[in-house]
Amino acid sequence: MTLAFTVPPSISSFLSRLDPRWKLAALVLFAAVVATLHMLRTAAAALAAALLLALLARLPPRWFLQRLGAAALFFLLFALPLPWLLDSDGPNWIWGPIHLSWHGVESALLLMAKAITLVTLFLTAQATAPLETTLKAAHSLRIPDLLVQLGLLTYRYVFVFADELRRLRIALRVRGYRNRVRRHSYRTAGHLAGTLLVRGYERAERVGWAMRCRGFDGQFRSLTAFATRPVDVVVFLGIVASAAALAVWDWKF
Amino acid sequence: MSVDFAIQVRDLTFAYPDGASALAGVSFEIAAGEKVGLIGPNGAGKTSLFLCLAGVLKPRATLLRVGGLDPCDPAQRRRLPAQVGIVFQNSDDQIFNATVFDDVAFGPLNLELPPDEVRKRVAEALQRVGLTGMEERVPFHLSGGEKRRVALAGVLAMRPSILLLDEPSMYLDPRGRRELIQLLHTLGGTRLIASHDLELILQTCTRVLLLDRGRLMTDGPAHTVLADARLMEAHGLEVPHSLRGNNIA
Repeated sequence: MTLAFTVPPSISSFLSRLDPRWKLAALVLFAAVVATLHMLRTAAAALAAALLLALLARLPPRWFLQRLGAAALFFLLFALPLPWLLDSDGPNWIWGPIHLSWHGVESALLLMAKAITLVTLFLTAQATAPLETTLKAAHSLRIPDLLVQLGLLTYRYVFVFADELRRLRIALRVRGYRNRVRRHSYRTAGHLAGTLLVRGYERAERVGWAMRCRGFDGQFRSLTAFATRPVDVVVFLGIVASAAALAVWDWKF
Repeated sequence: MSVDFAIQVRDLTFAYPDGASALAGVSFEIAAGEKVGLIGPNGAGKTSLFLCLAGVLKPRATLLRVGGLDPCDPAQRRRLPAQVGIVFQNSDDQIFNATVFDDVAFGPLNLELPPDEVRKRVAEALQRVGLTGMEERVPFHLSGGEKRRVALAGVLAMRPSILLLDEPSMYLDPRGRRELIQLLHTLGGTRLIASHDLELILQTCTRVLLLDRGRLMTDGPAHTVLADARLMEAHGLEVPHSLRGNNIA
């Protein structure tokens, strides 16, 4: 199994005991503010706050760092070229044909800080409540039915899809196929992707039939009941106040 | 004496959009409470017939009534899930919720039953299939047999008067299969089972319909039809082991 298909651990923590609706609303607002930050020091403060939340959520270090590392590697692809690509009137370093700008370095660090903060917030939300509970909380926060159902179905079938891919890969290997840089491999990968798409389409059609046979009319219904306690509101206000302070700091200075 | 029919089908014809004919002029009636087996080789049209009866596919027919409702009529089709329960061949297609509880509660919630009634029905259905205590389990952690039972529980929780089971013993080990047969014996109502497992049909059905290439070839008592070696062979089937030596040649 790859990292993406591993079920997050279930850990009891201060954050996991909060009402998922208040927690989700607070994290989404915080994430929205983080996405708009444009100063490195505010982004660094947001990252520190997110890491504090991860600490409060008691995320298993190995589980957390593995996922954070994978995401950071992906974002590095976009951040690394920035010092060479962005130009400005500020300090620049020139060594022969190599031209490096401080503005580019700052932009790269800002991008990485914001990306790691958002991934940390996402992992905190993921590990402090089962995804289906978070999606039900989203539904009770008036997120459209369609988005909630898409999320739930994707979560349910991503494992079936992963299983199908695993079986196809085994079927290839037992017939002597090995991934190499050659035309045959590219063609085989294309066929594999095509097979998965067709099977996915057919499965979606059958799932749709099964849903209609059990009276589905497009409306999301759930029996999950949420209860608000004073601590939920206090934590929500605390996180939102921190986000507001970050936004003001970023905007004023 | 008038017979109360659960299913009435007359001249039912269905072709897929690519023009391939799936069902051609199929006619039969099933009385309320009857247990009927639907047999036939691969591609005979068994699943297509189930999908027509459940209102998923829209066939042409001079008469089609399932639980007194016309599956081709949009208004009546919406009332069909309360009357007809269908268990699909592949349980992964049917268990689309993230937990066992949510999945079994899906149908009753769509019937807009009160929350207490939904919880009662979920508990009852899980108890009937022997899965009490597994409410919070996630589907990808279930074995093939458990998935099959969750799928059945999801249908039983809707308390349909007609049950359509498509290959119910598929993916089950011998013990799971035995338990399924025992469970089927405890279920009331009208039942139509499509299966290649002819021993299961023999043990759970009194009457058999034989479909081949979309046409109804035979309709008769289970023991008589299944013991007819020539008929079975002509349609790519075999006489169940328990009936061998008792063949009608």
